[in-house]
Amino acid sequence: METLTHILNGFAVSMQPINLWYTFLGVFMGTIIGVLPGIGPSAGIALLIPITYGMNPTSALIMMAGIYYGAKYGGSTTAILIRTPGEAASVMTSIDGYEMAKKGRAGAALAVSAIGSFIAGTIGVIGLTLFAIPLTSIALKFGPAEYFTLMLFAMTAVSTLTGKSPAKGVLATIIGLMIATIGIDLQSGQARYTMGIPEFQDGVGFVVVVVGLFAMAEVLRGLEGLYSGTSAKAMKISGKLWLTREEWKRSIGPIWRGGIIGFVIGVLPGAGGTIASIMSYTTEKRLSKHPEEFGQGAIEGVAGPEAANNSDTAGALVPLLTLGIPGGGATAVMLGAFIMYGVQPGPLLFQNNPGLVWGLINSMYIGNVMLLILNLPLIGLFVRLLYIPQGILYPLIVAISAIGAYAINGSVVDLWLILMFGVIGYVFDKVDIPVAPLVLSLVLGGIMEQSFRQAMTISGGDLKIFYGSAITVILLVMSVISVLLPFIIPKLRALGGSGDPS
Amino acid sequence: MADRIIFVCTLLLAGVYFWATAQIPSLELGDPLGPKAFPRMLGVGLLIAAAMLLAEILRDRKKAKVADAGVMKWERQHWIVVAVAAWTALYIALFEPLGYMLATLIFLAGLTGYFNRGRHLMNVLTCVLFVVISYVAFTKLLGVNLARGIIPF
Repeated sequence: METLTHILNGFAVSMQPINLWYTFLGVFMGTIIGVLPGIGPSAGIALLIPITYGMNPTSALIMMAGIYYGAKYGGSTTAILIRTPGEAASVMTSIDGYEMAKKGRAGAALAVSAIGSFIAGTIGVIGLTLFAIPLTSIALKFGPAEYFTLMLFAMTAVSTLTGKSPAKGVLATIIGLMIATIGIDLQSGQARYTMGIPEFQDGVGFVVVVVGLFAMAEVLRGLEGLYSGTSAKAMKISGKLWLTREEWKRSIGPIWRGGIIGFVIGVLPGAGGTIASIMSYTTEKRLSKHPEEFGQGAIEGVAGPEAANNSDTAGALVPLLTLGIPGGGATAVMLGAFIMYGVQPGPLLFQNNPGLVWGLINSMYIGNVMLLILNLPLIGLFVRLLYIPQGILYPLIVAISAIGAYAINGSVVDLWLILMFGVIGYVFDKVDIPVAPLVLSLVLGGIMEQSFRQAMTISGGDLKIFYGSAITVILLVMSVISVLLPFIIPKLRALGGSGDPS
Repeated sequence: MADRIIFVCTLLLAGVYFWATAQIPSLELGDPLGPKAFPRMLGVGLLIAAAMLLAEILRDRKKAKVADAGVMKWERQHWIVVAVAAWTALYIALFEPLGYMLATLIFLAGLTGYFNRGRHLMNVLTCVLFVVISYVAFTKLLGVNLARGIIPF
């Protein structure tokens, strides 16, 4: 009953004019960030953190969440019109979406993305509302040992499930944790790995790492593509921005299934939007009566994956809000934002600050409605962004990153770090080392070390505390499974004999 | 080839990290683990990652002998990445001495002039407008401090 009151109060919070405005600003910027290549939701949110400093945390977080789920809407536009996903998770949409555009059905492809995203996004938020409460009651039983094993599970899952090589995922995770150890150790007051640079005493800020790895690296890749002439031209929107009765009938099933697949995948750490949309695509292809149409412009191949990558965002917020543990790169940046505002997500947040949590969750219902309007009648406006010459766009992204980074401490060291991590991100991309695990472990590293040391202090130095309770044992077993999974799946596929190439 | 370089770099990184960890002075008072224990675990983690990488290299070598060749080949367009990074480094070096407005203007003019060639009016207008509007918006409206440099306002 009390929860219901909190949920209803949350609506009151999210309906406040100021929060409606920030919801709109968030989803509007999210759509732009999604449409534009070069700057994704992770870098977009990170760059906003220093600028929104001092703002009311509820409004700031509502805006950042808006960027996160809004970018998924925008990403499909670029995927359909220039066959380049504006946002990583739209990669499946670029296959059939672009084929539809070539056949003069770009309008229908854009419409089904927007409608599918809206329905699935709403399914996701309903799921988030329903699952948040039971999870927080489990999370209240968590001590340092439970948190340590939970983070271990999140990191092993992310490192082995993102990217092509589990070894490189683990490598990226450890590098992130190592960067997190730079600075003054909170328990002993001892400076570690500061290399005599005074700015490093407070540690390496995750904002500069994220902006470097995501924005700067993307600029280097983009300018390289521009130089070698591999960047694509945008198609014009063709056909009416609506669906025929036949197209609608073919899309509704994939939208529902995609919405549910996306939410479930989103809750689990590691997998994320890209895997959710690939799973939805392969599911629809299997269920379809005309699998041969996939890859040639099948509307199911747009509807399902777009739905999946939108409900995924709401799913990903479940562990972030209830446990305080993100399951991927973008939610890790969100956690960083929470912490910078002095808000610690987790079960206690639901008790101590229900207005913030439910205001944030309920703003997503409203945000999805706004996104539907922005991405259907107003889509023509955003498409114009695709005609901005990339030779101007990429340099501006560097300048914007410089402003954002300099604003944090007023220090040039942060600008050098952006460049350094930009080059690292560029090289990592070339050699297939994933960067999402690095960002996740960088944000979690400090908390992980603290909970490890607290647990060891409680147990008097006995490691038994990490396998002493049912929760820690389950989490440890899940961590081991997530490490072994990449090795088991190919074997199972070989046994089944029906390996799917995608 | 690329994977072998990563393998060697990982071992080197582990070595440097273990050495740097040993340099941290520690007083074990009330904290049974001290500031070195967790970093040591990370060093071991790095060695595990290296071992996993070695296993993958050996597995892939059995599978295909030629597939790895193209990954690390130095191509002409990589020079453009080096040039952009160097230009950005120059920008950062001049950021405080010249100030945000002037340094950013030079930086943007150089890049847009090269990558958006021939459209001078468009480039100049975009750069000037961006620099002035962003400076005013951030310093005057949002109260963010941007380096002033040699420009007196």
